[in-house]
Amino acid sequence: MTDAYRSFRDRCAVAGIGRTEFSKDSGRSELTLAGEAARAAILDAGLSVKDIDGIVRCDMDHVSPAAIVGAMGLDQLTFVGELGAGGAAPCGMMGLAASAIISGQATAVLVYRALNGRSESRFGAAIAPRTMAGGQGSYDEFFTPYGLLTAPQSFALLAQRHVIEYGTRPEHFGSVALTCRANANRTPHAQMFDKPLTMNEYLVSRVISTPLRLFDCCLETDGACAVIVTSVERARDLPKPPVLIRAVAQGAADGMSGGMMFPSINYRDPLRLAPGNVAKTLWSRAGLQPEDIDVAQIYDCFTISVLLQLEDYGLCARGESGPFAASGAIAADGAMPINTDGGNMSGGYIHGLNHIVEGVRQMRGASDVQVDGAETCLVTSGPIGISSAMVLRRDL
Amino acid sequence: MSDPVNPVDFDRDTGAFFKAAREGKLVYRKCLDCGAGIHLPTTFCGVCGGHNTGWRTAAGTGTLFSWTTVMHQVHPAYPAPYTIVVVALDDAPGVRMIGSLPGQPTLRAGQPMAVEFDPASQVRGLPQWRAL
Repeated sequence: MTDAYRSFRDRCAVAGIGRTEFSKDSGRSELTLAGEAARAAILDAGLSVKDIDGIVRCDMDHVSPAAIVGAMGLDQLTFVGELGAGGAAPCGMMGLAASAIISGQATAVLVYRALNGRSESRFGAAIAPRTMAGGQGSYDEFFTPYGLLTAPQSFALLAQRHVIEYGTRPEHFGSVALTCRANANRTPHAQMFDKPLTMNEYLVSRVISTPLRLFDCCLETDGACAVIVTSVERARDLPKPPVLIRAVAQGAADGMSGGMMFPSINYRDPLRLAPGNVAKTLWSRAGLQPEDIDVAQIYDCFTISVLLQLEDYGLCARGESGPFAASGAIAADGAMPINTDGGNMSGGYIHGLNHIVEGVRQMRGASDVQVDGAETCLVTSGPIGISSAMVLRRDL
Repeated sequence: MSDPVNPVDFDRDTGAFFKAAREGKLVYRKCLDCGAGIHLPTTFCGVCGGHNTGWRTAAGTGTLFSWTTVMHQVHPAYPAPYTIVVVALDDAPGVRMIGSLPGQPTLRAGQPMAVEFDPASQVRGLPQWRAL
């Protein structure tokens, strides 16, 4: 059997990570945040700004490639890439960076995401606060006129489907929120570091859109994250232990359509979105199985997003994510610890690049909620539209 | 009180849906080769790869596929609570459409639903749905 992925597997590594503080009001521009996170990542990698010759931007980032090149003086740039959509992209962005390195187009690539997601552009606000919406392949015309306006409402339709098909209970959703919160309570940079959450507090929290409550939703956040990708050979000459990019995969949902999140309820099976197909490719490319994974950073825009992905990535059986999560299996001391820095739910929503940074910290043995002996980490990006994921591993 | 969001009704792929609704008809895109329902509408068929597609009128009945009652209001023209419903059409396999009901009705999965064209939503080109 040929191994078409051999030239990619473990060939690139994360050499540096950086981030700003996570807050409700950063008090500075998104470009400033991006630059701070990028400089921190470059410093962490033991490189200088003039070593960076590639950048990868998320399509929803307001900071353009030109802006960050200008602000940081990256005039030696030889590669620029851009990927979407939004939170579904970060692991794919890492694949793009690695592809650029392997194909000789760059030697050290900056991957960044910066947003004033609380003080400037709130994702929780109505998507279309305008008198007319839709057209040009957005398909908003079929949704927003009915008052389907925000992400929590869209994910609530998926969550209700999960309730209908599998009998998922409020405590099941709540166990995801509590798991992330407990990890955030041990992570000083997490926004919910000093705010514990009990199941009773979860159950009496106000309903946003049934069956989702306040604590089923992640935190709109101001902040930025950045990662430096290099060849594994170069990373081994740099100060920090290299974290190998074992494999990256992107994938589509069966029977999907254009548009952003609202159309997900129209896909062939809304409980089997793109991650199910991403997972098949990822495990094949990594040469690993779910049981080989020691810790996972699961994209958690909402609690339902985590439940769906636990099933899609084969971390539990189809339909059993609720009881699986509530069993303690995803807790820091469980069989499959997730979101060890609090994730989007309780750490900070940097649109999925935060999950990559925490995955690297785990593989360095440097997380605040370190999983003892962890050698492999699954990182996933947003489950809507065309999604992506990757496996990181310790350089043994 | 601001205006509600109206659908763009002049898109070349989707505009016919809203034009039909103003005439009191519920239409969907259908693949004339393999028979698949195509919603959201495109001129191609993602099931068989063909592009022999056209608009067809649906019976206007279906079953409740999912719903959410919005309690946290985000838009002045959409006072909470209201309930967004997703209806699977009886005669167009795989086609699901959105509607909204006032308040917090008691609903159950699979319950029969029927399209209706109340005057206000018809002006906006929107089919609506009621529980039977």
